[in-house]
Amino acid sequence: MLAEVLRMIPTNDSPEPDDRQLVEQIRHGDDGAFETLVRRKTSKVYGLCYRVIGNSEDAKDISQLVFIKLWENLEKYDAQYAFDTWLYRMVTNVAIDFMRNKQSRDNAVNSTLRLVKTAVDPEQTVTVQRKEVEAVFNAVSDVLSPKQKTIFVMSEMEDLRSSEIAKILGCQESTVRNHLFNARKVMQQQLKRRFPEYARLWEESR
Amino acid sequence: MMTCRNFREKLQPGTSEPELLDHLRHCDACLDFAMNVDPDLFFRAIGGEEIVPPGGVDAFVGDVMSQVRVRQAETSLAPHRTVSVWQRLAIAATIAAGVTGATLAYRFEHRPVTHPMSPIVVAANVPAAHFAPTATKSFVETYSSHDATIVEMPADGSDTKVVMIFDDKLPADL
Repeated sequence: MLAEVLRMIPTNDSPEPDDRQLVEQIRHGDDGAFETLVRRKTSKVYGLCYRVIGNSEDAKDISQLVFIKLWENLEKYDAQYAFDTWLYRMVTNVAIDFMRNKQSRDNAVNSTLRLVKTAVDPEQTVTVQRKEVEAVFNAVSDVLSPKQKTIFVMSEMEDLRSSEIAKILGCQESTVRNHLFNARKVMQQQLKRRFPEYARLWEESR
Repeated sequence: MMTCRNFREKLQPGTSEPELLDHLRHCDACLDFAMNVDPDLFFRAIGGEEIVPPGGVDAFVGDVMSQVRVRQAETSLAPHRTVSVWQRLAIAATIAAGVTGATLAYRFEHRPVTHPMSPIVVAANVPAAHFAPTATKSFVETYSSHDATIVEMPADGSDTKVVMIFDDKLPADL
């Protein structure tokens, strides 16, 4: 009886291939495997690009560029390393390059716009809401260097450890921690200047 | 997802516990509470969510795949420039042979002319100007005879002076 019941339960004969298996299939000319890989990683890649770049259209273009580069360079992937680390390295390289070019373009045009403050009473009590945090982040994170911002996003929003970030960026863990420390400091200064109602949270907690 | 009560009980400054962060990112009421415990959690509130590109995942994947197909087509249309190892070796050998041949030919054409007296000149370490007459015949620096007839040829403006000596006693090979 039990055997009959067990036989009726559908079994998964072909479990989904992991990233390394998909890469192997792509190397053998399976375009379908590449499509599966893109679909699987879209949210991750786009999410990181969006957080770093802060603009949905640019983030979309950069994410697509990342996948094209991935397809072109797949032969270079060494399967003894985690696929996500390799992918994240590609994302950060492309995004940081884009940010550097964008910053140099923007600096020439609207550097003064950064100094604009929001007219809010610093004594006003605020209730922190997620949507607002996102808006505040987009407003103040422009002062970070592209590398600082990328590290900050990977640590605070993607929940990656310093050791993982160091592997992705190919640098020392201490370098990552330094960047993080400086990024937090700069962000707090910016909050104090432009969003004093939120900066009070830090002052009160001391 | 954990309850708000659990979250508030467990929350510690500097937390990176996935369960707590997950709650923080989905509950505005607890976010405000968390800010009072640890303001450094402020920006952690916006992480951890699935962000979809504008137009949706299907459209995004479709765009990527169509670009990949275009690249594939470009690659297949491009002329193949693959050169085998043997071809490379043959090319290298041809170039080496050409260079060696050209070097030898150049050296052959520009080799120093060896005159019979040259070795003596080098060995004696005497300035070359002293050996200006390189003729194989011996020459006479001084000559004295009562029977000789000396005829001086009229100079044609040049520095050369031609003198003809007629004497039966002179050696035949002079």
